[in-house]
Amino acid sequence: MKAQQINWWAIFWIVLAALYFLLPMYGTLDFSLRMERNTISLKAYEIVFADPRFWRGFQYSTLMALITIVVSIILFVPTVYWMYLKVPQARPIMEIITILPFVIPTIVYVFGLIRTFSRPPFQLTLHAFTTDMLIVAGYVVISMPFMFRAIDVGMRALDVRTLTEAAQSLGSNWFQVLVYVIVPNLRVAILSGALISFATVMGELILASFLVRPALAPYMALLGLTKAYEPAALAIISYALTWFSLGLLQIVSQGGTTRQLTGR
Amino acid sequence: MTHLELSHIRKAFGAAVVVEDFNLAVNQGEFISFLGPSGCGKTTTLRMIAGFELPTAGTITIDGNDLTNTPPNKRNVGMVFQSYALFPNMTVAHNVGYGLKITSKSKAEIMQRVHEMLALIQMEEFAQRYPFQLSGGQQQRVALARALAIRPQLLLLDEPLSALDAKIRLELRHEIRRIQRQLGITTIYVTHDQEEALSLSDRIVVMSKGKIEQVGTPTEIYNAPATEFVARFVGHINLLPVTVLNPTDGVISLGRQTLRAGRFGKLNGRPVQLAVRPEEINLGAKPDTNTLSGEVESVTYLGSIVRIGLRIEHHPLSLDVFNEHTLKLPRIGETHTIHFPVNACWLIEKSD
Repeated sequence: MKAQQINWWAIFWIVLAALYFLLPMYGTLDFSLRMERNTISLKAYEIVFADPRFWRGFQYSTLMALITIVVSIILFVPTVYWMYLKVPQARPIMEIITILPFVIPTIVYVFGLIRTFSRPPFQLTLHAFTTDMLIVAGYVVISMPFMFRAIDVGMRALDVRTLTEAAQSLGSNWFQVLVYVIVPNLRVAILSGALISFATVMGELILASFLVRPALAPYMALLGLTKAYEPAALAIISYALTWFSLGLLQIVSQGGTTRQLTGR
Repeated sequence: MTHLELSHIRKAFGAAVVVEDFNLAVNQGEFISFLGPSGCGKTTTLRMIAGFELPTAGTITIDGNDLTNTPPNKRNVGMVFQSYALFPNMTVAHNVGYGLKITSKSKAEIMQRVHEMLALIQMEEFAQRYPFQLSGGQQQRVALARALAIRPQLLLLDEPLSALDAKIRLELRHEIRRIQRQLGITTIYVTHDQEEALSLSDRIVVMSKGKIEQVGTPTEIYNAPATEFVARFVGHINLLPVTVLNPTDGVISLGRQTLRAGRFGKLNGRPVQLAVRPEEINLGAKPDTNTLSGEVESVTYLGSIVRIGLRIEHHPLSLDVFNEHTLKLPRIGETHTIHFPVNACWLIEKSD
């Protein structure tokens, strides 16, 4: 029997890639701990956490992210479901539309939004609340590729048509089919989409800064221009937040995959 | 008493006509099979009864009520799918109780009915399992219980056994018939498997290219197929081109050999064929029967029977003999005489 050979090239590339990601992170972490001369301290973190603007930004972004997720789910679950059921030929068009936010630079998109909606008849940027409506709409578009794809993959694992027909023959109307049958079976897919959208919104800079709303990313950018150690600490905090979201995603999807994949 | 009536049903998808002039009256408690090759329109017809497709023309009535345009969730028709279609997020009990929950029945009533249904399919101990923890056969039984739990006026089964292996298929076939008889529910069963249709049904509707070829009891379909299509599709049959010599006495000729046919179907002057089932033909000669001779071309062992292929007047013909221990099989290349009763053969016209 042949002994298993160690693929040195594979290891080399893995190490190289890991260094490429980890070294800057380590550098940032190290730098963020050196605010006080000749000692390791959490001073920079203390300052960030003590700043009410951080908390306001965090709170604002979290709220906007949650609203974005709810709006996205309400918008995309029925849309993708309808596409699967009634217009499967529209799939290529949907693919192109949902990829547009990747193709069009956000800055172009934001200018378009502002030019259209800050003038009559809309004038949405006059009030904070209406600006927030605009910002959520923008976030929904920016996170659309993730949300669409997550739900799309979830639906593909289900026999949507037959499940719908089975539920209908048992007396369900469209709403009941969606609520009792489709959505519960898309739980994992919807959660993955939601968590990626959450991470996207938390880190979104351009939309919030051009619409002048107190989100987390503009605060980070501002801090980066004026301070040295605090932005590094903030970067680590936002890393942690993102990794926490991704970790959550991992746990949730592991919990449900067996049922999702074999329960057809 | 007519329970379900389909009259002049037609279904077209764009230019393609899938079902044409479909007429059928089904009695209360009857078990009807739609039998035909894939693409013959049997599933489309079933889906129109379920309400998943709307007929392009024609009407569907149950107990005299026109349901042609009623949405599927208002028809009270139970449906079982080939792919089981159990809800993956629900336990067996919740799957079975789903239809009752939708109609806002009380918890106690749902529980009692679920229990009743699980007893009917003999799966009480599986109530708390999820579909992915069940075998295919078990899943399909749950699907059957789920469809029956709502006390539907009709039960529709769309190739329910096609995804299962042979042994389970046979078991479940008996189970479906037992339950159907026990409940006396009017049932429409779609299949491409003639054995299923013959063994289960009160009547069979044989379909081809969107049209009904023949409606009849299994015996009628097998013993007196009305068209060449039915004759060829159901069971194995020998069709030999013949010339009618004397229509009154049924005298016909096959090449140089003269024969007699017991029954004449409807003949409209097109070329005719002699139809005879392989099991009606025996080796050797016998007086007062049709006797032919030909060369043995193949001997195929099929377990309980052996199928012998001969060439008679340039035409292939096969006959079945029981695999008894005394059986002496003919050898390939030998010339043998065969015979079959006059009443066991009939004439049908060649189709286009």
